[in-house]
Amino acid sequence: MDLLGNLVLGFGVALSLQNLLYCFIGVLVGTLIGVLPGIGPLATIAMLLPITFSVPPVAALIMLAGIYYGAQYGGSTTAILVNLPGETSSVVTCIDGYQMARQGRAGPALAVAALGSFFAGTVGTLLIALAGPPLAEFALSFAAPEYFSLMLMGLVAAAVLAQGDMAKSLAMVVLGLLLGIVGTDVNSGIARFSFGVTELTDGIGFVVVAVGVFAIGEIISNLGDATRRTVETAKVTHLFPTREDIRRSIGPVLRGTSLGAFFGVLPGTGPAIASFSSYMLEKKLAADPDRFGRGAIEGVAGPESANNADAQCKFIPMLTLGLPASGVMALMLGALTIQGIQPGPQVMTQRPELFWGLIASMWIGNLMLVILNLPLIGLWVRLLSMPYRLLYPAIMAFSAIGVFSVNNSPLEIYLAALFGVLGLVWMRLGFPLAPLLLGFVLGPMLEENLRRALLQAAGNPMVFVTRPISLVFILATLAILVVMAFPAIRRRQRDIAD
Amino acid sequence: MTKLRVLLLSLLGIWLAAPPLAAQDYPTRPVRLIIPFPPGGSNDVVGRLVASNLGERLGKQVIVENRAGAGGVIGTEIAANAAPDGYTLLVISLAHAVNPWLYPLKYDPIKAFTPIAVLATGPNVLVVHPSLPVNSVRDLVALARQKPGEVQYASAGIGSFQHLGAELFKLMAGVNLLHVPFKGGGPAMIDVVGGHSKVMFSSLVQTTPNIKAGKLKPLGVGGVKRNPVLPDVPTIAEGGVADYEAVNWWGLVAPAGTPPQIVERIYKAVAEVQAAPSVKQQFATQGADTLQMGTAEFGAFMQTEMSKWGRVVKEAKIKAE
Repeated sequence: MDLLGNLVLGFGVALSLQNLLYCFIGVLVGTLIGVLPGIGPLATIAMLLPITFSVPPVAALIMLAGIYYGAQYGGSTTAILVNLPGETSSVVTCIDGYQMARQGRAGPALAVAALGSFFAGTVGTLLIALAGPPLAEFALSFAAPEYFSLMLMGLVAAAVLAQGDMAKSLAMVVLGLLLGIVGTDVNSGIARFSFGVTELTDGIGFVVVAVGVFAIGEIISNLGDATRRTVETAKVTHLFPTREDIRRSIGPVLRGTSLGAFFGVLPGTGPAIASFSSYMLEKKLAADPDRFGRGAIEGVAGPESANNADAQCKFIPMLTLGLPASGVMALMLGALTIQGIQPGPQVMTQRPELFWGLIASMWIGNLMLVILNLPLIGLWVRLLSMPYRLLYPAIMAFSAIGVFSVNNSPLEIYLAALFGVLGLVWMRLGFPLAPLLLGFVLGPMLEENLRRALLQAAGNPMVFVTRPISLVFILATLAILVVMAFPAIRRRQRDIAD
Repeated sequence: MTKLRVLLLSLLGIWLAAPPLAAQDYPTRPVRLIIPFPPGGSNDVVGRLVASNLGERLGKQVIVENRAGAGGVIGTEIAANAAPDGYTLLVISLAHAVNPWLYPLKYDPIKAFTPIAVLATGPNVLVVHPSLPVNSVRDLVALARQKPGEVQYASAGIGSFQHLGAELFKLMAGVNLLHVPFKGGGPAMIDVVGGHSKVMFSSLVQTTPNIKAGKLKPLGVGGVKRNPVLPDVPTIAEGGVADYEAVNWWGLVAPAGTPPQIVERIYKAVAEVQAAPSVKQQFATQGADTLQMGTAEFGAFMQTEMSKWGRVVKEAKIKAE
């Protein structure tokens, strides 16, 4: 394989003045929509699609791709600064990123997020270049049983997210699963828990819940407590990570990147799963897991790398098989088709300049994003010194706009407000929010894949252990259970000995 | 604050109180085009393609508004309740003729709208994974007779075009295939390309890349004629299921009561858009053909489609109770 020659060709295409310009426009727009909650790459790309008809195919694709991965960088900014997840994938970043900001460490959090994302983006790009087609073939071997076992493993591992009271964490996971059930049942077409409200037949949006419990709940909480409102400005010590921060981040970035790449290749997993997994892994590996949820930099470095690797690798099924792994990828396929290019495996051989040009541009785009984002950190942090009476209405307004713009649905704003109040109640009662969101994300996928697997296997549950990949996940799930049970067993033995 | 509110309210008042402008002046402001599906789907692609070209011809911008949800019901309901002044239009598709049989609706799919024009039509295509030992529609029917309910087909969900096309096939060929529903056409196609479900009655545009790459084997197209995109593939009717036809369509409607002069004006503009070679070609890349039909004819067509798919929904017992 002539990788070098291909890369030279790719960089030759991507480094043309025109393509560099489109790449820059793409990542700039992506950063902006990433910062704004709700307004995601899907809506933006749909709006810009007609404009790209008149642009050469390579340039169009470079720009659209830039918007998509640019949004992953921008999404973490508001999550860290004001607890407002800019994109679905940055919800996890809220947990520790926002706590870091409260401690005056917004700068290091933002910097680590950007650098981790850049590293993950570089690895993701390399993976596409080196192993795109075989990885895509691997992903195709995943069907309903594999997805179910994988999600099951994730749900069991979620016990790691428990902070303090295990019972409360489990209660929140179950509540998340229940909330995830709202909406039309895939198998029968019956609307569940929609109470006759048409909008609810599509379920409750992830953005609605996340913005509600995190951003709005936080604001209400701050308003009720005068001392909390000024913390952010008190002690901004340094803008960039210390040597200690970097040392702590290296491992999480590497592991997050691997996890993100794995989930990115699989078309049947949503954006939040990679970052959640990374967070759980870091917390499990940490010598002092108690720091998590209180501003652990690992909790930002890992998930942020994971979500960027995930975003980058979502291109693999699209580019090598012509199969869309997400709505955004479906739009990119649409853009290709309208340009008169038949997407699919033949793109690589028939239009190498397009394939390799796009890959090279992705790396260049990631570089641009780091250069764009690092100097902005100072500006963002200064934003926090804004008086709270100005800051919070702004956050509320952006939250409302963001929630509304997902489906142009007013009902979702009311729902977000409701979740804001619920979030406040849960926070006050000491119920952790992360398990709720994880249950909410995994629940519908677990159910859908369980029922589909059984349907396709004519009701035979053995399908989960007779298929090798599924079996691996089931065994891993059992292993996690054993590992978790161990400390409890040991503790009991000690109790008996005493 | 109060000043601002007074200003906003009075602006709103002026806007609301504006007298209905004469139809011959239409349009005097941008036209809202509601697409009742999310960005990226066929309804959206067709709608946006028409919107940008229609705007040029009407002389005012046509603004696309995605109001997705509940299989198109949410956006359609908004359009049904909009003022019939020509400034709210709706892109509908086959789903419009199917939804009344599946969901409780707060609007009458025929009476609440004034038909304007059919925009385009696109057939489905019956594809199988290459590992399934069949090479024609007849082979598939024979296999399904041999193993009733064992051959699995994937669809984009209950009531989707993919689902209905397959159920129509089952009824007409007298066979039983097992339905495996997915959330959308993309995941369903991935499952079939991966060889897990073996059969799919997919939309032509979504399937062509994988047919050309040899990942899926086409057995027949669902139109009355062969499709220029796949000239060597017979129609399903040719393949032995006589009179089988499953064609998705996209059309433009306005709320009932929209003045006839305005409907006429839009109809003419749409006809011009459809005649443009660039538009024809862009539809062709989507596996769709432009189709011209008078407004009255379109109304009758909607009725026919409703009764056709209503029968399929009833006979195949698609509606969940």
